[in-house]
Order: sequence, then C-alpha cells, then structure tokens
Amino acid sequence: MRTSFASRLGLTLETAAAWLLALLWAAPVLYAVWAAFHPTGYATRFELTAPLTLQNFVSAWDAAPFGRYFLNTVLLVCFVTGGQFVLCTLAAFVFARSRSRWMSALFAIVLVQLMVMPDMLIVENYRTMRALGLVDTVFGIGLPYLASAFGIFLLRQTFLQIPAELEEAARLEGCGPWAILWRLYVPLAKPTYLAYGLTSVAYHWNNFLWPLVVTNSVNTRPLTVGLAVFASTDQGIDWAIISAATLLTAAPLLLGFLLFQRQFVQSFMRAGIK
Amino acid sequence: MTAAPASADAIRLDSLRKQFGSTTVLHDIHLRAARGRFVVLLGPSGCGKSTLLRVIAGLERADGGRVVLDGRDVAELPPAARGLSMVFQSYALFPHLDVAENIVFGLRARRVAAAEREARLARAASLLGLEKLLKRRPSQLSGGQQQRVALARAIVAEAPICLMDEPLSNLDAKLRGEMRREIRALQQRLGLTMVYVTHDQAEAMSMADQVVLMRDGHIEQDATPAEIYARPASAFVASFIGTPPMSLLPLVAHAGGAGIAGLPDHLLAPASAAGALLGIRPEEVVPAEDGLPACVTAAEFLGAETVLACALGSGGALLQARIPGHHALPPGSPVRLRLPPLAHLFDANSGKRLPLPPFA
Ligand SMILES: Nc1ncnc2c1ncn2[C@@H]1O[C@H](COP(=O)(O)OP(=O)(O)OP(=O)(O)O)[C@@H](O)[C@H]1O
Ligand SMILES: [Mg+2]
Repeated sequence: MRTSFASRLGLTLETAAAWLLALLWAAPVLYAVWAAFHPTGYATRFELTAPLTLQNFVSAWDAAPFGRYFLNTVLLVCFVTGGQFVLCTLAAFVFARSRSRWMSALFAIVLVQLMVMPDMLIVENYRTMRALGLVDTVFGIGLPYLASAFGIFLLRQTFLQIPAELEEAARLEGCGPWAILWRLYVPLAKPTYLAYGLTSVAYHWNNFLWPLVVTNSVNTRPLTVGLAVFASTDQGIDWAIISAATLLTAAPLLLGFLLFQRQFVQSFMRAGIK
Repeated sequence: MTAAPASADAIRLDSLRKQFGSTTVLHDIHLRAARGRFVVLLGPSGCGKSTLLRVIAGLERADGGRVVLDGRDVAELPPAARGLSMVFQSYALFPHLDVAENIVFGLRARRVAAAEREARLARAASLLGLEKLLKRRPSQLSGGQQQRVALARAIVAEAPICLMDEPLSNLDAKLRGEMRREIRALQQRLGLTMVYVTHDQAEAMSMADQVVLMRDGHIEQDATPAEIYARPASAFVASFIGTPPMSLLPLVAHAGGAGIAGLPDHLLAPASAAGALLGIRPEEVVPAEDGLPACVTAAEFLGAETVLACALGSGGALLQARIPGHHALPPGSPVRLRLPPLAHLFDANSGKRLPLPPFA
C-alpha cells in the first residue's frame, strides 16, 4: 500500500515537473506564435476574440532581405555539414583502423578540442580568417567548424563496432581501402550520419556570435544575424513583426524536426548519444 | 620471376611460419593439396587452423616460408588477387545489403558487366535454393539460410580455391548434416579445391579427401580419413580420431612379455613393447568369458550401442569399449573384455607411432 502510494506520488511529481519544464520551454514560442498572427496592438493583450492576420509576416519579409539571409544560411549549413561529413569520415576511418602506435596519442589530441569552448576562439579565428582574406564570406563562417572533434569521435566509435570480418570479406572480394570505406563503413554508419548531421545543421542554423563577428554585409549574413540586425535597428520594437520574422527563420528547422522526429530519436539511440 | 612449372598442386605450403609478437602460432608447415581435393584442417581449439587459413587467404602475412597457389608464389599478392574465395565462421554477410547484393558484392567490386552479373547470380541462387530469398536482408534469414548465402557469395566468384572456417559451427545437428552433404556435393560438382576448417572430427572424416590434423601450430598427420583412422601417426592423433577415440594403455614388463600393470596373466605384446602405449579402438573390444577382468566406471548409452569406460588392472589404465546393445551396468560392475590383436603402439614420451615388434 505504502510503496504504491509513494511510487504514485513520485510519478505524479515527475509528470508535473515534465509539464512545467515543457511549458517553460514552450512559453516564448507560444508567445511568438500569438504575437505573429495578431495585429500589433494585441502583442500584450491576450483576448480570444482578437482577429487573426498574416500581415506581420508580409511586413517582416518586405522589411529586410530575408530571402538572401535564407540562402546564406542554407549555403552555410550545407557547406559545414558536407565538409564535416567528408573530413570526419576520413579521420575517423584512420583512427578506427590504423594500427600505428601513435594513433591513440593523436586521437587524444583531437579530443582536446571537445574541451575548448568555440566562443573562446573567436578572436583567434577572426585573425586567421582575415589573414586568409575570408572575412565576410560564407566560406569563412563555416571553415573553423569543418574539422569537428565531436564528429570524428562519433564516427570512430561507430566504425570500431563494425566487425573486422566484414572488412576482410570485402577485401577478399576485391575492395581497396576507398571501396571499403564507401561500400561498407559509410552505409553501415548511416544512423550516426543522420544523428550527427541533424545536430550539426541545428547548431549552425542557430549559430549567432561567430557569424555576427565575421560578416558585415547582406550578401553573407545568415538568418540569425540578419534577424538580430533587423530586430535591433530597422524596426524599432514592434514585437509582432519581430515574432513573425523569428518564426519565419525557425520554421524550416522546426518543420524538419517535427517531420523527422522519430528517425531522429531512433538514430540518436543507435548512435549512443544522449 | 619465371612462370612456375605447371603442377597438379592447387595449394602448396613450404615451411610456413607465423608468429604474433613473440608467440609462434604456426611452425614450419608443409602441405600439398591436389586440385579438386577436399582438405580438412582439423585440430583442437587454438591450434592455429584459422591462422593457417588466413595466411593462405592473405589476410595475415606469413613470417617465413612460401604459399604457392596454382604454381604461383602469392606472397606479394593481395587477398583479392589470389584466386580464392572464403566463407567466414560468422558468415560475414553485409547487414545493409539484401541477399542478391550480398552475393554479387564481389562482382560489383570487380566491375563485372551487369548481364554477366545477373547470369551468375541466377546460377548461384538456383544452385543453393535462394531464389525466393533474394530481396531479404541477412537479419531476416535463418542460420542455415545465411550459411547458404555465404556459400553463394563464395562460389559466384568462380575462384578455383575455396576456404571455409568452421562454417557449420552455428547450426544445429540436423542442419549441419544436411549442409555437410550439400557442401561436399557442391565442391565436387564445381571441382573446387576446398580447405575446410573444423574441430569436429566426425565432420572431418565424413567430408574430407585429405585430413590435416594440427596441434599447437604443427601438422601431426596429413593423410586420407581411412589412413588416419587405421594408422594414426601419434598418440595425439589416436586420441583425437574416433567416437570415442582410441584408448591408450601403458604397457609394463611381465614375465614373458608386456601387459597392463596388475594383470600379469594377460600378455598383450612382446617384452620389447614394455614402456610404450598400447592403442585400442573401443569398437574392437568385445565382451568375452576369457577376457581381461575390468571394472566399469561409467556407461553411456548411445542408442544402438553402449560405451563402457572401464578401469583395467592396478595402474589406473582406462579402457573404453563400444558394445552393441543396451547395457545398463552400474559403476563398479565387473566385466571381462577381450582386446583385439596388437595393432597400435606409441612411444610414451614423444607420442610417435612405433613399428610393431615381431613376436619373439
Ligand atoms: N591477432 C592475434 N594476435 C595474437 N595472437 C593470436 C591472434 N590470432 C590468433 N592468435 C593466437 O594464435 C593461436 C591460434 O589461433 P587460431 O585462431 O588460429 O586457432 P584455431 O585453431 O582457429 O582455434 P579455434 O578452433 O578456437 O577457432 C591462438 O593461441 C591464438 O591465441
Ligand atoms: Mg578458428
């Protein structure tokens, strides 16, 4: 009796806490949805009878070059994620299969990157990009992120789990190292690529500080920076339009996550990331 | 290098040596296998069978000696260029590909034309009865079906030599019997030279043209199944082959000859055999009124026969006897057993087979 009461109480508390956290997390989004779909006057007045409108979206879209920002962000995300896939795959393959005695030391050095906050490196990265003449280019925004220790680590773990006999079978069937990588390792690591790709896309879609520092023109600014510039100066503080713009910029990502939710969670479970 | 003279040997190993670090796993292996032969590598766990197979395949480098396949020294050739196919113990099927793609994986890697690929796939699939399974993933197959896919992948390469590492060890007894016959039939139909690893001596005896029995990285004996059964080259071979294997009885000197310690009235060999081990096949022992007195220590009923383990004499010699019929003898029962004429003698120290001494 008592234990079941205690466990039920525990369950109730857990559920309540989950709801509370969910509400806290959702509140700003819900507010943005409210503000974006109602005329400006209702941004701080919550009435169920308030008229709905799409005018805020139109105004936001017209007020700043969001089309260009979208393009920049998409280019950036494709470049970074694509580059990470290529580099991390190659590095992870070597780290997983080389028998050199230097490998564990080298791998440890790569892992040190995980302990360095990316924001700490902003100044140094900026100097490097300027030296390379890449300031204010999409290429320059993405370049510092290409060699991701996290990606190398994840893929290496996945590759290590692939039985050596599969590779030997492939070798006997006439595959060289490239064919083994392409026909065996990459397809078998698909869940890891999906999970890692999604985190990477989300991170770079939302990344703000570094792009803010390294860009200074409409032709390179990604959405996040564009939105900030738009919200701070161009518009005064019109919450309705800012909310509409925010929803616009987050929409593709939100939509993608809602669509891929199940695969996303599954592949994270399989890749062993929490 | 000049082309080697055409020889009948599909596989020749000359003083092959392999070590991992400081432990030598293969010592001085010599082996010849004629084309179209079914060679079984047999031996206890850890004796180096898999390692030998992997050296032949080129998955491990030999540390000495030569591997000659079809007259070519293959030391410098990668596995794929050695003209062989291999079936792994775990089957090593590619989990992300369906059965058809698994089978043609090597043909794709070698860029065989699509039409030819399809034709070969169809042939291999029909040979192994896989036509209905071609679209399945390996995880959707039973053990026996996976085994067949692995076989199909090996034969579709049409390599003259096929290596198999304990391919049946994951299957149940009935399926194993079936697959044994299928593999043997397939090997004969295609004229493959087969090197087949197992630690199951019954499997070896029933399939092989040539049994290579290994122990601790050495070849103990290389002979036909009949020869290895009739004339085991060492006490180790004797105690490995047969169900149950040969009993080895230490001989001591008695007045007028040699026999079991504690049984001076029953002479089994001339005096010169004292100190050696006498090998007795359990199936040749028969119960008889005038036989040696023995004491049953265990009785194992096999169906048509009963295997009796008996203690003989005072020296703790253990004799096994395979006797037709059901004999539920409790431990401690006295029996009298007649031994066959002297046929196998082994040196007690080296284990080597000794020539039979003439009766004085
Ligand atoms: N990569 C390796 N590194 C070090 N030692 C190894 C390696 N592979 C095998 N060995 C050793 O070599 C010996 C022979 O191994 P092998 O796998 O050839 O035995 P096996 O006869 O196939 O045994 P089993 O019947 O159990 O498969 C064993 O003692 C094993 O520990
Ligand atoms: Mg083995």
